[in-house]
Formats: sequence, structure tokens, C-alpha cells
Amino acid sequence: MKKAFVVAVLSVLMVFVVSSAFAASKGGASGRAHRNVGCGLGTMLWQHNSDDSVLSQTLQVTTNGTCGNQTFGITTGTSECEQPANFAKNDRLNEFVVANMDNLAKDIAKGGGESLETFAELMQIPTEKRAEFYRNLQANFAKVFTSEQVVLANVVDNAVAVASKN
Amino acid sequence: MSVGKSVFTKVYGTSRPVCLFFVFLILLSFISPARVIFAEDSAYREELVKRAKEMRLFEDRYWDILVHYKRAGSGKKSLITDPKFFLSPAGKKDPAAELEATLRGFFQEEEKDDEHPRCRFIARYTWLKEKLNIDERRLPAASCTKFNEVMDTVKPRSAALVFPSAHLNSPSSMFGHTLIRINSSYQSELLSHAVSYAAVTDDAIGVLYAFKGLFGFYKGYYSFLLYYEKVKEYNDMERRDIWEYDLNLTKDEVQRMMLHIWELKDIYSDYYFFDENCSYELLFLIEAARPSVDMTGPLRDRLRFWVIPSDTIRVVRENGLIEKVKYRPSQALRVRSIASLMEKKDQETALAIVNKTTPPQAIPDMSINAERKIRILDLTTELLQYKYADKELEKDDYLKQFLAVLNVRSTLGTQADEHTIPRPFQPEEGHRSGRTAVGAGYTTLGKSPFTELGWRAAFHDVLDPDPGFIEGGQIDFFSIRGRYYFKEDKLRLESFRFVDIVSLSPRDLFFKPISWKVNTGFDRKIFRDGEEHLIYRVNPGGGIAYQNSLLGLCYAMLETDLNLSGGLKDDYALGFGASTGVIKQLTELWKIRLEAWGMYYEAGDTHRSMKASLDQNFKISTNNSVTFSLLREKTFYHYQSEARLGWNFYY
Repeated sequence: MKKAFVVAVLSVLMVFVVSSAFAASKGGASGRAHRNVGCGLGTMLWQHNSDDSVLSQTLQVTTNGTCGNQTFGITTGTSECEQPANFAKNDRLNEFVVANMDNLAKDIAKGGGESLETFAELMQIPTEKRAEFYRNLQANFAKVFTSEQVVLANVVDNAVAVASKN
Repeated sequence: MSVGKSVFTKVYGTSRPVCLFFVFLILLSFISPARVIFAEDSAYREELVKRAKEMRLFEDRYWDILVHYKRAGSGKKSLITDPKFFLSPAGKKDPAAELEATLRGFFQEEEKDDEHPRCRFIARYTWLKEKLNIDERRLPAASCTKFNEVMDTVKPRSAALVFPSAHLNSPSSMFGHTLIRINSSYQSELLSHAVSYAAVTDDAIGVLYAFKGLFGFYKGYYSFLLYYEKVKEYNDMERRDIWEYDLNLTKDEVQRMMLHIWELKDIYSDYYFFDENCSYELLFLIEAARPSVDMTGPLRDRLRFWVIPSDTIRVVRENGLIEKVKYRPSQALRVRSIASLMEKKDQETALAIVNKTTPPQAIPDMSINAERKIRILDLTTELLQYKYADKELEKDDYLKQFLAVLNVRSTLGTQADEHTIPRPFQPEEGHRSGRTAVGAGYTTLGKSPFTELGWRAAFHDVLDPDPGFIEGGQIDFFSIRGRYYFKEDKLRLESFRFVDIVSLSPRDLFFKPISWKVNTGFDRKIFRDGEEHLIYRVNPGGGIAYQNSLLGLCYAMLETDLNLSGGLKDDYALGFGASTGVIKQLTELWKIRLEAWGMYYEAGDTHRSMKASLDQNFKISTNNSVTFSLLREKTFYHYQSEARLGWNFYY
């Protein structure tokens, strides 16, 4: 039985090798949750619970999805970002824009969508003026998202500038 | 007080007056600020304690909910582990002591903001204040600044149960997860907050992770985050579709829930994958909102010891709490849905933009209608985001392309239908996750008919009816089958698989996932002697799958198979081989799988094994189905044919 034991160990190792090969083919993202913090586009939350290999996925099956370690985040904060100038201090708006800038850009380009609706609500655009607001933003997309380097302050200020020409 | 006193007398007993004086001072500095109570207050305090006892509030159902008490033996025990959650040292097992300590706690002199028991246990306080008609003016002052700030930000109005379901190729999320969303006064749901319960883990090694999870070594915490963070995490990052079930809770009920959520801030419990998991613990919040529903009790008292997220949705629905259901498709599904509305040529154009072989600026000049142009660009946008999230694109590249595409897109106006995305079956509409099966069949090996009894703990088999589940995904846990052979008059274990997972995800123009499988457990196998014997098996494999409109889901995998048994030469056989098959939904109710499997065992007991099988499943109703299987096998030099008919009942 000694030999059988050795083989058992070997086969477990083999599973590890196979699974890590799969992990590598997926891009091999590893480690704990990490946040690509920024004030502009492409800001994302990459979250990986474990080593992302097939093996650990298999063994994670029963976890029902574990989450990161943050517990009570009522707000996300934007203190590391330059604040918009043209607009009364609106933390919820700033937080939303920073956290959802890519989806907001997508919605503005399309002329509609949930992120854009949320943006308009936070900008306190009256409901009856929203359609026009969306149209204006879409027509002026290039003036709101001037480059890949736009940050929170630019986007909000530019959007305000567009809205005020309504 | 009593604890302080007894320590004091003990110290007094030592005859060293000077030293004693300092000890006294030190003790006093520990005890006094929180404990000094004016005579009048202490009379009121005792009155409240007495009245609460007379009313037997510690037996009240709401008290059980707030402290998470469940029956344990002859008494009760709280499911919460964190000692911070209890004001009485005996609180975990003694509801009466905890209630008394809570009432006494309300009389503590001011502590740091929000540390006062009236703030920390604000749901308890609110409930007891109402029950006992507590006169707040007769209590020491307590200011709950942080709590008020949170309530001001969250502005709880209504609530929804949220179920991020499984995503295509990750069984780690195949069971899904549940959260509760607390809607604010904002119209946009994205601005709500979501509460969930999850294990806090930091182990990168899967085996350790699973072991610790199963046996409650992880701490579970409630988390409370902005809903748009969760939507991004599940929809965009993990590609999980999100189901949202609006609950018919009133504003007052949701406020009550919020009070209890606050009490659970930074409080941990031992997290168990199977039962005291995210889905189970969240039910306490709903009970705190509406104590007339009891969901945690029945789920705990039933025979099963595990709780699966879709089960909890069923329970919530059965209790009449669900009003409306909404669906948020994941990014992967958005890609597939938009693509499904497009011609192949247009799909390829989108891919060409992503691959930088066609510039997005060329699209407006193409001689196709506006609708097609819009779809090409919208698909490109989703694909770019998808690839960036998948880290296939560098940030700089992604941003350049993303903005270039959007710039062009913004010149094309709006799309009327917004690429309507069809809604799949709701997860709780599928079959239930437990399964018992009875069957009968015939095998040529012993030339004997047999009857069979099977049981599976959870969850879904490739052959089980798909609605509510992901096609091509299988997770079986603790699947056991026993057989009785008439001819030999023998009862025997046929197989006992601890885990049997298959993940077949079709590759297409946009996604190239890997399909894989792994199973382990006891199985029967034909040996050199021509008889079937019990082996222990580990059988992993990996490969690819494609969806073919005619054939169905086609797959091929390379596999290894390890067999362990004292009956094998050298006690083992290690083989390499392959499997291939098709799974096809022939009609809405009828599904078939045709599979071939071959294995060359070159290490240990060398031999070959070939199998061909045809399995069919007929859906009778949501929770009943019939299976008919045919198998032809050659192992060592022995042939076997087997036919089997079985009835499956999902419960």
C-alpha cells in the first residue's frame, strides 16, 4: 500500500499542475483583491478570492462566493481626486462618477442607460429636461471626455458646461 | 458591579495597606466611569429589569431574532460567535441574562460616541423601549452620531433580495450568492446600499480554504456597501447575471432591518459553507424587519444540513415576500445577446475593431443601415470592457480604443430597442437541489437484473432539466447509489462520489473558455477476474466545447484516471485517455447525451478501458424526471452491457 500512497500523492500533485496550467491560460491573476484606484477612466475593482486555478475554483464551489474584506463602506470617498469647480459640492455625484466613469462614458455615447440616468438624478436635472440633457451630452461627447486622461473634475465640469447651454 | 466588588475584597484580604490603596485607585479608574449610577436611575433600572422579567421578554420571538438564538438541546444558543455581540458573559446561551444585561447597559454613563449600548444595540433598544415604554429622559444621555450619519446617507425606504447567479465557467459561483439591497430615496437603484454576509478569507491555497470553510474556521462578517460597487463586481467583473427580487417590506420594516444591520457591524460568526452561510444569515435580517415570518427556524429544523442560495429565494417566495423580479444581464450575456441580433459579418467587424485591424472611424462610412452600425459599435464597446476586465488588454490600449469607439458611437444617435436581452428562467424556478432516485436495470456481466436506489445531496447534473441552471454545468455533491442484484441476492454499494463536477462552456467568436471536469469517490470497476470491485477514483480532465445548432453541445477532453484498490496489481492503476460527447436538448422536455470514453492504464495494473453510453432524461414536472441509460463497456478483456431506467425526484 506504500506505493499506492505515493501514487495518490502524485496524482494530487498532477491535479495541481493541471489546474495551475489552466490558471496560467486564464491570465494567471493571483493574490488578494486589489483595487486599481484612480480618478479617471479604466478604474476597476479586480477581485480574486483565491489563486483562481481550476482546483481552487473546484474547492470553492461550496462557498457561495466569498467577498473581499471590506465591511461597512457607506461611502467610497473621492478625497484623493481633484474636486470639480463648477458645481456645488456633491459627494454622492463625485463618488458615483469616479466609480462608474467607464459605464457613464458608454451611456453618454449611446444617449441613454442606467448610469446616465443616475448621473442626471445626482446632477438634479429635472425629469422633463433629461431627454434633452442626454441628447446634448451625446452630441458633445468629445467635449466631456476630452482624452484618455480625463479625471473626475474634468468630466463633471465639462458636463455642467454642456448642461448650462441647455 | 458585583465582579468589581469581589475582586476588591480579595485584594483587601492581603495585608499591605499602601499597596492596597494604589490597587484601589487603579480598580476604581477601571470601574467607575461607566458604572456610577445615581440612586434614582438605579431604581428605574431595577424596575425595568423586573418588568421585563415579568413580561418574560427574554422568551419573545423578537428577542430570539435580534440575538440570533436558535434551539440547542434543551435551551437556546446564539449563532453569533463574537463576544462583542453580548453584554452578558453568559449571553450566548442565556437569553434572560443577555436581556437583563442589555437593559442594564442602557443605564451606562456616556461612553465614546456610538459605543454606548443604546447605539451599538439600537434595534434591541428600539424594541425594548417600545415594549417597556422606557422613558428616555430617565436614561443617561447617549449620542449615536455615526449611526445617524449612516441613516442619513442610506435613507432606507424599501428592500430587495439580490441573487447574483452563476457565471459561465466558474463553478466557484455556481451556487450563486445572495444580498439584500436597501433602497434609498433616490430613483436610481445603483445608489442603494447592499448588505451581504461573507467569510473573510485570506488563504490562497484551495485545499486549506475548503477545509477551513467546511469546518467553520473562517469568520463571517456582514458587509454593507454601495450597490453599484456590487453590480460592477458581479455583472462586469465576474460576469454573473443578477436577479433582483423586490420585497414587499414597508418603510418601517426596512428601517427596523437597518437598525439590526447596524448591530451586526463588525460582528463575526463562524462561517460554514454549507449551512450558516451567506444565504442563511441574511434571512435573519428579513425576520428582523418582519418578525411574523419564520424562515431561519424551518430551514434549520429540516433534515438537510445545508442551505443553497436558490433554496432561500424559494423560502422567501413561499413566505409571500416577493413582489416583482428584475434581471440585470452580465457583460458576457450582453455581448452574446447583442451578437445574436447581428449578422456574422458584422460580428467579425466588431472583433476586427477590437483587434485593431479596422479603425472605428471606418464604421459610419460603411454602406449598411444605422442600426447595424450601432450594433457593431455597441458590441465592440462591451467586448473592450470585457477584455479589459479579463486583463487581456493593457489599460493604455483599452482607454485609447474605448474612447475612439465611443466618440464614433456618439455621432450615431440612439437605438430604439436597446438590444433587447431575453430573460432566462429564474433560478428558483428550476428543480430543487436534493435528489432521490429509484431505478431498475439489467447487466450482462452477472446476467442479472437489479434495482437501484440513489441519493444526491446537491445540486445539478448535466442531465437534469436545465431551466434555472446553466446548460453544460454540473455540480454533484455526495452522490451515492446502491444496488440489489436479484440473481446473486446481493446488496452492494455501486458508487459514492464525493464531488462530480463538469463545466462545459462553449467557445465562440468572442469567448474561448476551457471546459473541464473532476470527480472523485468510490466506484465499481471490472477487474482482471471479470468481476466488478470497489475502487477509489480520482478523474480530472480538461478540454473544449462548442455549441452546434444541429448536434447540440459538443465536447472533447483529455483525462487522467487514478484507481486505487487492493485488488489491483500494485494496488493502483493510473491511466491517460480522452472522452468526447454531445448533449442535445431534443425537445423542451427531452435531453440526451451520447458519450465515448477511453483510458489507457500504463502505470500500476496496466490495462485498457473503453465505454460508450447513451443517457436520456425526460422531464415530467419541475421536480420529477425519468432517466434511461444504456452502457457498453470493455475493461481488461471483459465486456459488459447495461440498461437502466430510473425515476428522479428533486426535493
